[in-house]
Amino acid sequence: MRGNRFALRSRATAPWAIPGAAALVVLAVVLSMKVGARPLSWAELSDGLLRFSGDRSDIVVRHVRLPRTVAGLVAGVCLGLSGAVAQGITRNPLAGPDTLGVNAGAAAAMIAVFAMPGLGALTGYVWFGFLGGALAALAVYAIGGSGRDGATPVKLALAGAAVSALLTAMTSAFILLDRDLFARYRYWIIGSLARADLITVGQAVPFAVAGMLIAVLLVRRLDAVALGEDTARGLGVRPGVTRGGGLVAVVVLAGTATAIAGPVAFVGLVAPHAARALAGTAHRWVLPLSALLSAALVLLADVAGRVVIAPEEVQIGVTAAVLGGPAFLYLVRTRKVAEL
Amino acid sequence: MKRRLVLRHGPLSARLDVRGLVLGAVVWLAAAALGFAAITIGQYPLPLRTVFDTLAGNGSVITYEIVVNERLPRALSGVLVGAAFGAAGAVLQRLARNPLVSPDVIGINAGASAGAVVMIVVVGAASAWVTAGALAGATVAAAGVYTIAWRRGFSGYRLVLVGIGVAAMFGSAATFLLSRADINAAYSAAEWMVGSLSGRSWPDVVPVAAGLGLLLPIVLASTRQLRVLELGDDLAHVLSPRIGRHRAAILAAAVGLSALATASAGPVGFVALVAPQIVRRILAERTPSLLTAAGTGALLVVTADLVARTAFAPRELPVGVLTALVGAPVLIGLLIRANRIGTSG
Amino acid sequence: MVLLSVVAVGLSGCGGPPAANPAASGEGSVTETNCGIEVTVAEPPERIYALYQPAVETIHALGLSDRLVGTAFLDAQVVEPYGQAQARVPYVPDLPQREALLAANPDFVLAGYNNVFATSGNEAIGTRAELAELGVRTWINAPLCPSEDGLSDEAIDPAQVSMDTVYRDLNSLGRLLGARERADELVSELRAQVAAVQQRVAGKPKPKVAILLNDDDGSYRVASGIDFGSRVLEMAGAENAFGDLTGKRHVAVSKEELITRDPDVILTSTCCDASFTVADGEPDVRQIMSDPALSASTAVRRNQVYPFLFADRAAGVRAPRAAARVADLVHPE
Repeated sequence: MRGNRFALRSRATAPWAIPGAAALVVLAVVLSMKVGARPLSWAELSDGLLRFSGDRSDIVVRHVRLPRTVAGLVAGVCLGLSGAVAQGITRNPLAGPDTLGVNAGAAAAMIAVFAMPGLGALTGYVWFGFLGGALAALAVYAIGGSGRDGATPVKLALAGAAVSALLTAMTSAFILLDRDLFARYRYWIIGSLARADLITVGQAVPFAVAGMLIAVLLVRRLDAVALGEDTARGLGVRPGVTRGGGLVAVVVLAGTATAIAGPVAFVGLVAPHAARALAGTAHRWVLPLSALLSAALVLLADVAGRVVIAPEEVQIGVTAAVLGGPAFLYLVRTRKVAEL
Repeated sequence: MKRRLVLRHGPLSARLDVRGLVLGAVVWLAAAALGFAAITIGQYPLPLRTVFDTLAGNGSVITYEIVVNERLPRALSGVLVGAAFGAAGAVLQRLARNPLVSPDVIGINAGASAGAVVMIVVVGAASAWVTAGALAGATVAAAGVYTIAWRRGFSGYRLVLVGIGVAAMFGSAATFLLSRADINAAYSAAEWMVGSLSGRSWPDVVPVAAGLGLLLPIVLASTRQLRVLELGDDLAHVLSPRIGRHRAAILAAAVGLSALATASAGPVGFVALVAPQIVRRILAERTPSLLTAAGTGALLVVTADLVARTAFAPRELPVGVLTALVGAPVLIGLLIRANRIGTSG
Repeated sequence: MVLLSVVAVGLSGCGGPPAANPAASGEGSVTETNCGIEVTVAEPPERIYALYQPAVETIHALGLSDRLVGTAFLDAQVVEPYGQAQARVPYVPDLPQREALLAANPDFVLAGYNNVFATSGNEAIGTRAELAELGVRTWINAPLCPSEDGLSDEAIDPAQVSMDTVYRDLNSLGRLLGARERADELVSELRAQVAAVQQRVAGKPKPKVAILLNDDDGSYRVASGIDFGSRVLEMAGAENAFGDLTGKRHVAVSKEELITRDPDVILTSTCCDASFTVADGEPDVRQIMSDPALSASTAVRRNQVYPFLFADRAAGVRAPRAAARVADLVHPE
């Protein structure tokens, strides 16, 4: 490709993929706003959004569907990007924020919050999860980056597994000793958009933007690193720095998504694979596509969860896995997973 | 300078390492002693005399229930599970020539636990299907890791990489199942997923006993092939053309040991990783003897279980939490050390 | 170790398990049926262990406080006038492990909820059959009877969830525990209380009431039709807005559903500490009142969100007084 020294294969379908994914997101947004316990008409939607008169359907639009949709968009974008960057820096197609210790750190921090007596509802404390994830990722980078050759994919993965195991053991100790903590943790650990509120989402947006900027700056470097350590160095890119920057992006993005919806697994794993299947391995396609596809997946999973056993709800942590799992298996079978 | 003992009996001869023998005897005796002592420890007061009375048939209904149906099988499970994990870990580390390869790191235990959780939620915790589920899950995970990691030969590190990913996926699957179950089943399953000896009775001893009985002899008989394999793939093929078949058999035996131990007690983390490492450090040799590693594993699990169920009385922690709290820092230490030396990557 | 165990089992095998004392059906023995299982005692049990609030209050109400060797897991303060009696008996805030329970040497265990005898779950202390073999008689609060020993909430028969079952249960327990007269008195008192409430609310329109449990993340669960809370509401002349749901006792519903069904009154579900009173429900009330999604609902607009204790919707001796309180709240006139 002209002007891009680090180009990897792009598939012929690449130019169509992004508009297609964007259209999917728009469809998902519309469904998310219209579908629910009682489907809303276009008139009710516009009333609720533009001319708020306080009747029942306006409340549903403003205070139930809108927060969920916006939260789903932001969280979805963050999850997809963090998954794509994580897979890029570890060159491991099965990687994600959970393999870098971020989710385990977030969970451990939230348990510490839950365990403190006298605190009320979660809003306001969700950012502790962010802090926990950041600290865990720092530990992973420190351990994985020790030694002469810096943070190679293998060392990062191993460090991630070890740190996650330690944090998970600490979390387990707390929840298995206290029945009440266990019940509360069990709800939190499954991601859900039902807990989304516009205030938290508003606080999250600057972080999401920061994470996205870092990811954008890394696009070319991720391509170089994907060609191998030595090749990357030959091309003038320092892998250790790229990985460090990538880790920051993963932490910020994954932490934001967790602060909004709790830990949602699978979305960050599947979306980059689908993106690569559609558009090849060049990160300038993979990153935006992952973001769009996972936003669509999150919103569609939420809609499914609201509808399937109404009036009960199934959280997106479950529905996204049910939708994404088979999709992932299909992708694994038809394309060689070991390639990145 | 190692001291070796050479035994000859007729046509058979064996060379035994004295220090290794001594260490092996010590750990096994310690495990047995601690296991027996554990029978007297618990929230129901059972002094040693009462234990002996009960075993001789003079106890009450309740002491019989507690000694013979609860504490004794629990202690026995602890020993056997620890031994199985220790042996499996030693074998895998030697096969992959890499101290970081162990069934919990490469996803086999996670697969077994996911399979078992499916059974717990669908059928119920106290059932034989849990064993079947654990075995099925372990096999699927092992097959998956093996297939994905194979690329013109084996690299221990690629195995680990893929295994970590597979473990994460199975872990997610199990967590989702927990969220849909009712709170009782969910708590049982959560305890199970960490590795627990709580409530283990004689039916739970069967899988791991069967595993040790059937598979350990296979592994022990293959020490010669193991030594050949440790020389590296190319050299191994030259020395013994059919070594590939042996490797598959040994690997299968190790996976089987791990899976059956997981079926009995859940994926008790890090025992398979740490036990052989401890033996290596003490004996200062590269290839820990399998029986000694097994004995160390047994001692680890029995000790951890005792601490786990007494340190937080009246509540009990599952043994897997303790082994992870100790084992994860050990792994981190190993990683840092390997990184500094430069043997990773 | 293996060798030792084999020897040990062999030895004990020779001895065999000691025969459990069969409850001799002879002079003075009493047999009652609970959840389809026959419970026989040769003489009234002297060492009673009560698990969960309804069981604890039942034993106190039957006048058997001095026979309690252990109580566990209260959700709120014990209903008056039994507070002083409760202060004198051993209490643990969590369910005891099996060994700890056996160490107290009980001969009768009364459970307010059925999960203690389930086959799985960390709170289980054994099935009723297993405990019977150890010489411990057991009893489950009748409205929560599972259809089979070892099952839990999923096996409750909705038709049994009623005050009549409570009365029958109290009478059976009275006969079994040697407190026949006191049980009869108690049942009469309770019937009178219920009758008084129903008289007060007779003929009045029935408001829709929802009992909400506030989850940490801002979502809600509701008490369903098979929860005894629905009966309390009925006695108080109201109906459960979510009474048509019958899968589990507590069901997670979306906020939209809550908005759509728009209950007239919302009650909280405050739990789980032995010191709790109604006042401890205020934080839950505030959380509901400040939820923007519910700001236009009838209950919030008319300020009809009230603190309510989880203990007050249990099937037991509290229920009539709880119904009276609910009646005061929903029929203030």
